[in-house]
Amino acid sequence: MEPWEAFIRSTALHAFVRTYEPWLWPTCETLHYLGLSLLLGTIGLFDLRVLGFARGIPFQAIHRLIPWGIGAYVLNVMTGIVFFFGHPDQYFYNNAFRFKALFMAIAGLNVVAFYGTSAFRDLATSRADVEASLRAKIIAGTSLTMWVGVLICGRLLTFYRPPFFH
Amino acid sequence: MDPFLAFFENSTLASWIRGELIGSTLVFPVVVTLHTIGMGLVAGGSAAIDLRILGVARQMPLKLMGRFLPLLWLAFVVNAVSGVLLLIAYPTKALTNPIFYFKVGLIALAAWLVHRTGTAILRAPEDEQDTLTARTKVLAVASLACWIALITAGRLLAYTRRWEMLGIPAAG
Repeated sequence: MEPWEAFIRSTALHAFVRTYEPWLWPTCETLHYLGLSLLLGTIGLFDLRVLGFARGIPFQAIHRLIPWGIGAYVLNVMTGIVFFFGHPDQYFYNNAFRFKALFMAIAGLNVVAFYGTSAFRDLATSRADVEASLRAKIIAGTSLTMWVGVLICGRLLTFYRPPFFH
Repeated sequence: MDPFLAFFENSTLASWIRGELIGSTLVFPVVVTLHTIGMGLVAGGSAAIDLRILGVARQMPLKLMGRFLPLLWLAFVVNAVSGVLLLIAYPTKALTNPIFYFKVGLIALAAWLVHRTGTAILRAPEDEQDTLTARTKVLAVASLACWIALITAGRLLAYTRRWEMLGIPAAG
């Protein structure tokens, strides 16, 4: 066993997850599914709007949904940590999980690209019926693709699950 | 096994979905993944509309939120089709579990609520916010509660058989 895994298995969270697994796991999975739905329903709708869907909704207005998407993201990171600490080997040695982590990292960089460049400022000041800039559209398309990719990889985790190592 | 359930469970279509036929390994993961993407879109998109009705992102013209409705119905259809495929693959597992019938009831309720909130927002006036009736807000709250119950029921379907095996009387 690698040192990082030994460390995770020595934590109180690991012990807690394993002790209460029969009800804790289904509960966290349900929360994880509620979170992914809220994330897709808020950030996804914003991305679609930037891409030209539902023209007429002001960008600033639909952007108010984003905090709910961030809340859903936090919920899913927290429940995700519960899963990872419970069975670290099942995730770390799983290609679906590695791709999921990669897509999440790209989605994170994409957020930086959106708020760190003029893409967000231009949208926030533009009129409702105006077309988003190409830059904003590329960022929105990347966001949508990455979150659907994260969802697909998450769903496929079980099918790429390695044998139990430890 | 019940002969009616056995007919579906032993069919070639069921074997194909379960991935038991040569070259059909990907069918089950693809169907389950489509069911999850559809869930996220229809439940999440509907929840976004409900939140707007309840006062989140007030500057968003409610009427224009209606432009997302066809997308939600498309996701709903994807989930109906993928759901039926999953049911054909494992009919005994689903149909002997009371939670499955609860879930089907919630699906009907959710569809009705999306239809009702959809009609309500399309009738909303162009500009102001305060004319939303209390009834529309009740619909929005009911819709949010319905999606939470529906997703919970769906997730529990994967576990109730295990509980049954552990001797916890959760499933029939």
